[in-house]
Amino acid sequence: MLLTMDKELIQIIGVTLKMSFFSTLISCFLGLPLGVLIERGRFWGRRTLKKTASTLMGLPPVVAGLIVYMLFTKYGIFGSLGLLFTVEVMVIAQVLLITPVVICLTSSVISVSGKHLSETARGLSLSKGKTLLLFVFHNRRALLSVVLTAFGRSIAEVGAVSLVGGNIQWKTRVMTTAILLETNKGKFTFALALGMVLLLISLIVNIGASLLTKRRDSDD
Amino acid sequence: MIKCENILKKYSDRTVLSIPQLEIKSGESVCLTGANGSGKSTLLKIIAGVIPFEGKLEAQGSILYMPQKSLCFDMSVLSNVTYSLSGKKKDKEEIAFEALKKVGLEALYKKNASGLSGGEAARLSLARLLVHECDILLLDEPTGAVDIEGTEIIENAVKSFVKENKCTLITATHSPLQAKRMSDRVIMLEKGEKVEDSSPEELLIAPKTDFGKKFVDMWRY
Ligand SMILES: Nc1ncnc2c1ncn2[C@@H]1O[C@H](COP(=O)(O)OP(=O)(O)OP(=O)(O)O)[C@@H](O)[C@H]1O
Ligand SMILES: [Mg+2]
Repeated sequence: MLLTMDKELIQIIGVTLKMSFFSTLISCFLGLPLGVLIERGRFWGRRTLKKTASTLMGLPPVVAGLIVYMLFTKYGIFGSLGLLFTVEVMVIAQVLLITPVVICLTSSVISVSGKHLSETARGLSLSKGKTLLLFVFHNRRALLSVVLTAFGRSIAEVGAVSLVGGNIQWKTRVMTTAILLETNKGKFTFALALGMVLLLISLIVNIGASLLTKRRDSDD
Repeated sequence: MIKCENILKKYSDRTVLSIPQLEIKSGESVCLTGANGSGKSTLLKIIAGVIPFEGKLEAQGSILYMPQKSLCFDMSVLSNVTYSLSGKKKDKEEIAFEALKKVGLEALYKKNASGLSGGEAARLSLARLLVHECDILLLDEPTGAVDIEGTEIIENAVKSFVKENKCTLITATHSPLQAKRMSDRVIMLEKGEKVEDSSPEELLIAPKTDFGKKFVDMWRY
């Protein structure tokens, strides 16, 4: 019993990490450049995009789940893909939820130093590519916390993933949905243990990240 | 050569700069001065092409521009200078190190630039420009936060750069003494308009405005 539990626990952690990793990766891949462009770019529809992103930031996870569910259900537009109740569709729902957050946070990070940095870059006649890279590199510490926020959102998310994932044992069950289930079954101790593991993962990721960007010659 | 015609800059409805006519010849060294908010930075930004404006501007050649709030990139002092260079890493670092020597920052080359003092940051900003060539060099209060020694270092580095490149120089400054040392023409702005435009010698004899009088008084004592 304990042994199978351990095996299952490891499997659940594995699914959770896989889902969170890919959700974070994809939403950052989309959201970071978009966030920079929304703040510094000059293109048509920029304001609309910014408003849309900040509105979507408030999208309730269950609603995001519902939308994705309807798109991927048997009779939905993407129904033929047969992705409902898979980790893939959970990632899709997460990307829908997290990308707006990444866009908005990135744009506010960039806005702090944006004007001066872009004037300085222009003064040095930096190319567009080098300027974009500079924006990301110069703000890397703040942007890393954007990435961590995205990861945190995705690992903590319940509503959307239980809806589109279905909380299927050995397949789409993740930490949060498992905690929900165990709590409903009255197994509080196990639910709490799962919660601890979740917290531990968060801690490890954060420590790793702060080690990565530590400044050696400064107080902060 | 820089040619401005009917340059107008407004923020919402407020006109902050209005220059009907201004010509700066190639190789001239010009100081731009005037009270806070008189439009010095705005004029430099317009020539540098970093803000939109109304009117006609002709600026021939490549431009290097150091903003008043020049930002040091969050990387090492050396990388700050190499970042805008292209080529082999070793060559870039050699060039950058030479530039750092010119502004007296070579000892700090490994330090992260976000930890520099105000004056050090200004010197780094200048070193970042000096590794390039240009036809027009625009400096917005390059010694605004710099001590006496640092000011001398910066002025000398700029002078020798200008001599080598035979470039046009426009420096915004609040210091009459710097204006005298650095330029052969002084342009004074007041509320966005050009009120003086002459050589230091002419200005000394016949300043047209109160600000101009106070300015040249500093040269007398
Ligand atoms: N982005 C902006 N939005 C609104 N007003 C601005 C902006 N930038 C400058 N101004 C206004 O334009 C006027 C001229 O500003 P500018 O920065 O050119 O002055 P300055 O001569 O460089 O002053 P200082 O000596 O303080 O550097 C000021 O009154 C300022 O308030
Ligand atoms: Mg200014």
